[in-house]
Amino acid sequence: MAIVEQVSQYPETSISEPAITINRVSKQFHDDEGGVIEALRSTSIDIKEGEFVVVVGPSGCGKSTLLNMLGGFDSPSSGQIRVDGEPINGPHIQRGMVFQDYALFPWLTVIDNVMFGLRKTHSKAAAREVAMKWLELVGLGEFAQKHPLHLSGGMKQRVAIARTFATDPKVILMDEPFGALDALTRRFLQQQLLKIWSEHRKTVVFITHSVQEAVYLANRVIIMTARPGQVKLDAPINLPHPRKVTSAEFRETETTIFEALDEEMAKTFSLDSADGFSD
Amino acid sequence: MPDKSDIPSLPDRIGFLSTSTVGHAGRASKTIAQKGGPYVLALIMVAVVWQVAIVALNPPSAILPSPSKVARTFIEELLSGELPINAWVSLSRVTIAWIISAVVGIPLGVLIARSRVAEKLIDPVIELFRPISPLAWIPLAILWFGIGESGKIFIIFIATFFPIVLNTVDGIKRVDPVLLRAGQTLGCSNGPELFFRVMLPAALPSILVGMRISFGTGWAAIIAAELVAANSGLGYLIADGMEILRSDLVMVGMIAIGIIGVLVDSIFKQLASRIA
Repeated sequence: MAIVEQVSQYPETSISEPAITINRVSKQFHDDEGGVIEALRSTSIDIKEGEFVVVVGPSGCGKSTLLNMLGGFDSPSSGQIRVDGEPINGPHIQRGMVFQDYALFPWLTVIDNVMFGLRKTHSKAAAREVAMKWLELVGLGEFAQKHPLHLSGGMKQRVAIARTFATDPKVILMDEPFGALDALTRRFLQQQLLKIWSEHRKTVVFITHSVQEAVYLANRVIIMTARPGQVKLDAPINLPHPRKVTSAEFRETETTIFEALDEEMAKTFSLDSADGFSD
Repeated sequence: MPDKSDIPSLPDRIGFLSTSTVGHAGRASKTIAQKGGPYVLALIMVAVVWQVAIVALNPPSAILPSPSKVARTFIEELLSGELPINAWVSLSRVTIAWIISAVVGIPLGVLIARSRVAEKLIDPVIELFRPISPLAWIPLAILWFGIGESGKIFIIFIATFFPIVLNTVDGIKRVDPVLLRAGQTLGCSNGPELFFRVMLPAALPSILVGMRISFGTGWAAIIAAELVAANSGLGYLIADGMEILRSDLVMVGMIAIGIIGVLVDSIFKQLASRIA
């Protein structure tokens, strides 16, 4: 089973040492019946500082497992993950995370949510100032004193994005952050995220099901194989921003990714049915 | 007669985004009026049925006094200070025991929710003791503590302890793990900091429900405890009324219990809605 791996000559010049090195990382889980599920097999990825990497793959391909390990919520069964040369040892404020279901603290106001991560490093006044700046950047300045309960899903996710960026982490991990939003809100948030990213150049690792979202956002797309997850395709996306989803180049890139994914989807389904009949 | 309080609640629901710009005070006074209305109506309805029963059955007043007689006694007792003093005694007994329950029960609940070992050790004990009504403890309480204050505090402690512990356990266990993860990626160390900044506030609404429920169970139990062994309190007022064949006094005590119960409960609800 040959894995198509396009080692890219990355075009941007300003990029230095790898910010994240994922070296031969495997992950196995034990299921309830004492069996072993191999989520990720010997995966190696180098991510450079300032890259916007989007990971796409069939469900159960281990992409969330990978992100959880990057976040420090889980550790590899074998292999190593290093961020700036340091092994990961639990969650850290330098690796911010944006979750699919927003994870805002409902007992805090919007601004207190954004200030949450600034408590240790900033005085109260300074924290308020930074938080307000970020809220205004995501267009929610006037909602600072509201509680998250009163916001729509898209607004909640903008607060969560502001909250993560406000702490100025080196790496931002995004776990299907726009997965629960409607198409229009999703597009709006993608544009906002790109704008913030182009101004602040964080290293972003972004997970999604959506091929269109991947091509729209990424400067590098990684496609995972069906379980056990490995890198199937690692491709730079060199389309200039703002990208048009209707342009021929966009469609062409999408098609390449879809074809790679289709092969894996077919495997996922045959895997599922084999599982079903074997016991 | 249609319930008037239904009408103003409608626009509240339509524009909750815009109404939240109205100050808290405005909303609070509205809800007090909204909530008080039905209770006043209920009292009037009970009085009407009661009066009809008296006209129809014509019972001796020592068995069933008229609403107006009870209302007169109520006012008399209120003005003489007898009713407020006894109500105060009962309330303070419940409050003291309830605070002790919270001080012991909340940390215990957190421990059970966080530690497997503690859960395995403590949970069976709680499950065994929980079905025993606090009233069943009254004889032992009298044996152990006599009819003084400590016996009553003990009974109310039993009555208020379990709802507080169980709701705390439930609240801590139900904290969304993603909130804990968010807290960790925002710099909380995995210990007291994460507990006080994320876990406890996330569980607080559930803990407050436990506090509210337990005040109710405590309030019901104090009356029973005072009926059996006390020389003050609303329960004593009722028991005394029965002994001197003053059913109007008994009913005044009962009405006071109901009114105070509703008032305290609504204060808790108001408090909970402010926090959550």
